[in-house]
Amino acid sequence: MDELLVAGQVVGGKFGDILIRQKSGSNLEIGDLMISEENGSNLILQVFALEYGSQIQDKMQQMMSGVNLEQGVADAQFFEPEFVNYVLARIKPLARVYNEKGEVKIPKSLPSFFNKLRLITKEDLKFLRKEKDSIFVGYIRTGSKVIKEAEVWLPSEDVFSHHVLIPATTGRGKSNLVKTILWHVLDSNKVGALVLDAHDEYFGRQGVGLKDHPRARENLVYYTPSNPPAGANRLTINLQSIKPEHFEGIVDFSDAQFQAIRSYHWKQRDTWITTLMLTSPEAAEDRIAAATMGVIQRKMRLILGLTKDEEGHLVSKHEVFDSATKGFTTVDDIVKEIEQGKVIILDTSRLGDEAELIVGNIIASKLFEKYKAYKATGELDRKPVVTVVIEEAPRVIGIDVLTTKSDNIYSTIAREGRKFKVGLMAITQLSSVIPRSILANMNTKIILGNEMKQEREAIINSASQDLSEDDKNIASLDKGEAIITSIFVPFAMPIKIPLFEDIVKEKGILAQSGKTRVF
Amino acid sequence: MRFAHLSDIHLGFQKHEALQKVEQQVFEKIFDECISRKVDFILIPGDLFHVNIPEMRVQKFAFAKFRQIYDAGIPVYVVYGSHDFSPVSNSVIDLLAEVGYITKVTRATSLENNKIKLGFLLDKKTGVKIAGLSGLKVGKDREYYEKLDSESLEAESGFKIFLFHGGISEMKTDSGMDGENMPLSLLPRNFDYYAGGHMHKFNAQKFENYENIVYSGTPFAGYHTDLEENAKGQKRGFVLVEFEEKIKNIEFVEIGNTNYKIIEINAENRIAESVNKELQDKIRAIDPAQQVVIIKVRGEMTKGKTADVDVSTIRDEVNQKGALVVNINKNQLSSKEYSITEAKGANREEIITNVFAENIGQLRFEQQNLIGEQGIQLAKKLLAGLVLQKLENEKSADYISRIKENAFGILGVDTNNS
Repeated sequence: MDELLVAGQVVGGKFGDILIRQKSGSNLEIGDLMISEENGSNLILQVFALEYGSQIQDKMQQMMSGVNLEQGVADAQFFEPEFVNYVLARIKPLARVYNEKGEVKIPKSLPSFFNKLRLITKEDLKFLRKEKDSIFVGYIRTGSKVIKEAEVWLPSEDVFSHHVLIPATTGRGKSNLVKTILWHVLDSNKVGALVLDAHDEYFGRQGVGLKDHPRARENLVYYTPSNPPAGANRLTINLQSIKPEHFEGIVDFSDAQFQAIRSYHWKQRDTWITTLMLTSPEAAEDRIAAATMGVIQRKMRLILGLTKDEEGHLVSKHEVFDSATKGFTTVDDIVKEIEQGKVIILDTSRLGDEAELIVGNIIASKLFEKYKAYKATGELDRKPVVTVVIEEAPRVIGIDVLTTKSDNIYSTIAREGRKFKVGLMAITQLSSVIPRSILANMNTKIILGNEMKQEREAIINSASQDLSEDDKNIASLDKGEAIITSIFVPFAMPIKIPLFEDIVKEKGILAQSGKTRVF
Repeated sequence: MRFAHLSDIHLGFQKHEALQKVEQQVFEKIFDECISRKVDFILIPGDLFHVNIPEMRVQKFAFAKFRQIYDAGIPVYVVYGSHDFSPVSNSVIDLLAEVGYITKVTRATSLENNKIKLGFLLDKKTGVKIAGLSGLKVGKDREYYEKLDSESLEAESGFKIFLFHGGISEMKTDSGMDGENMPLSLLPRNFDYYAGGHMHKFNAQKFENYENIVYSGTPFAGYHTDLEENAKGQKRGFVLVEFEEKIKNIEFVEIGNTNYKIIEINAENRIAESVNKELQDKIRAIDPAQQVVIIKVRGEMTKGKTADVDVSTIRDEVNQKGALVVNINKNQLSSKEYSITEAKGANREEIITNVFAENIGQLRFEQQNLIGEQGIQLAKKLLAGLVLQKLENEKSADYISRIKENAFGILGVDTNNS
């Protein structure tokens, strides 16, 4: 190894907690990736703690400080300071890369004692190749330095069908990350995505967004309730598309209330909501108590924005739900588009919590049923994998929701979606309230900065790689910095997610000029 | 003031003589109606004809009627539809425009910045401003609308009408309506009336910034499924609009076409014999004289081949009783006893072989060359023979007989004997 590159040397420790002495001037950082060159392979290690080391006893040092501070002796110095005082770094092995084949394996041995280590370079990361149909998430990061030549691509079908969790607190770059991921999903038709965009931030109504992708015209479909920009669709869902099961696990209906709802659906079929809402509580069918009926009507009225007009017709004041002649095919259209491998963004920013989840539920249920049927008929292989992007995921897969309410489509997908190529991309600030059984099923986690200890613990405990020493590392992740832990990457990868605006600048649509032939 | 809006007439679509007559009658009746109701102008947003150059018979009666309308002083404003437009050759529409019987609405110019600017046309008598874009083939429409300079259209004052030919996603009424649709948001906003063509059922809706989006639907039939819809009671006709400064009233004027009888049979989980019996019983229960008879059999049978559902006898029987036309639809009929199982393969050749191999075991023939390995080889040869393309300049009739002969040759069937 070139002596100039040496950054430290192994001086002790044990497997998983190796002690190295930092070479003076090399300024190691938490998260730095280092290389120990060995016979036929390179061991990648990562710094997880830094401390001081000194050849002089503690008391002696404290006394020296006293001389400096109290006696006013300005230039009291150690003799050969870099030799006497130094930094010790604690590092852990991440992966062993075999030189010949570029094979990456989990390390099972220590680096040679006294071996000199250097910082990682792009040459060491050549094994990170872009496979076909993969999704770009960012560049390898060593400490706070970014190696731009080392791009991290994840195999899209595996990653999306095995669910993705994005835990982060506000302001750590999650919407930038989601946009970056979806941008690359738009490159091909291999992944269909249903995005419930509660903040209307992905499409780029104002400013840059996914609409600027060169293939947006073919692969991106944006639904918004009112005043859609040219080319976008109106998000209108007819009440007839709603079935009782769409409320399950989302709206708090008692058993008696649900029974009444089912009875109306059973008898009235498509027009059940209209009939139910227009019947006076006292005149309810099937011996349904007037009080029960009253409560159902009140809840529905609130969620779906329903009122009775002067002539006694049911109208929905909601911009999304229509009680009359519109939106009969919206759900089928969206499902069809997802099946074609497109990215569907639903602007749900004007919907209440429950209404948003119901809209997602109607579509996701239909899609899931279809994919289940494709599995049965053997067509599933030809269908693109689907990811359902949901923000504030604990609303539907939180422990309190799952214990007090019945299953909803999101929890069903989390549990069994993998078999049918349907996965969740769950974004959350609170991973700790998602049951362990579901967290463990989310086989890729892109961890952004999080200052809450309890949340970090929940993530660390369910990670696909051992992150037990990374608590501080996660806490100190800056905006745009992340750690990927996944069964599809060889080790927990520290990455830097590029700024979405930069991607658009580099790869977005260019304004066209020239004439079009007209008839 | 009032105007008429009709579209998707598809003149020249009908192949059967009886239906050709109905097609002509309906067309003439609508124009007579326009004259008697004294409309100020007529809008036809596309697919007036089924092809760009229809046969002479069709051109003859169409020209005669347009002449009559012209003499009555009623302007007709037209855009091309997806059927009567051709990017490479002229259309009979151009001929009608050339002699002055109709006016083509589209006034498009291509700007340097890749945008398309549309001009307005003024109806002199009423002062109405009309703009429009034709429906084009192969999904070019969307590109045009995306490049449209909407601002200048939206800024224009006065009573404005926009003619377009194409499916609007928001106007779909059932999910079966496939094909290229585009979102409403691509149309320029704030016109008083949007006269649509392409969707074959009457449909009028209001949306934010789009007060009246109207499809008049086909007055008779332009697709095969239209006849079936007619038989099920779909109303056909045109739209009559009264207006002053704003739209006052939109009325759908029904025009009758012909009489129908529809027989629908659900063959789900049944055997071919019982399906045949029900067909027979139902046919006997109707009087098909002077009727368009539509027979639809669908579902998955548990026993028997789909060919065992005997439609040719039925067809003969109904024809003998004096039906105008008999349409039999078995497209959605399948059988559990004989259904195609899918198979995989690395390439086309392998897939074909595997599908045949997977399914040939279901056949119960005595001829050894139709089953087993021999059967697979024969099936492959036959398939290869059937997918031959039409040669350049080859007439359809020649092509059909070439394919037939080829297929019979492969099967070793003596055509003189059949």
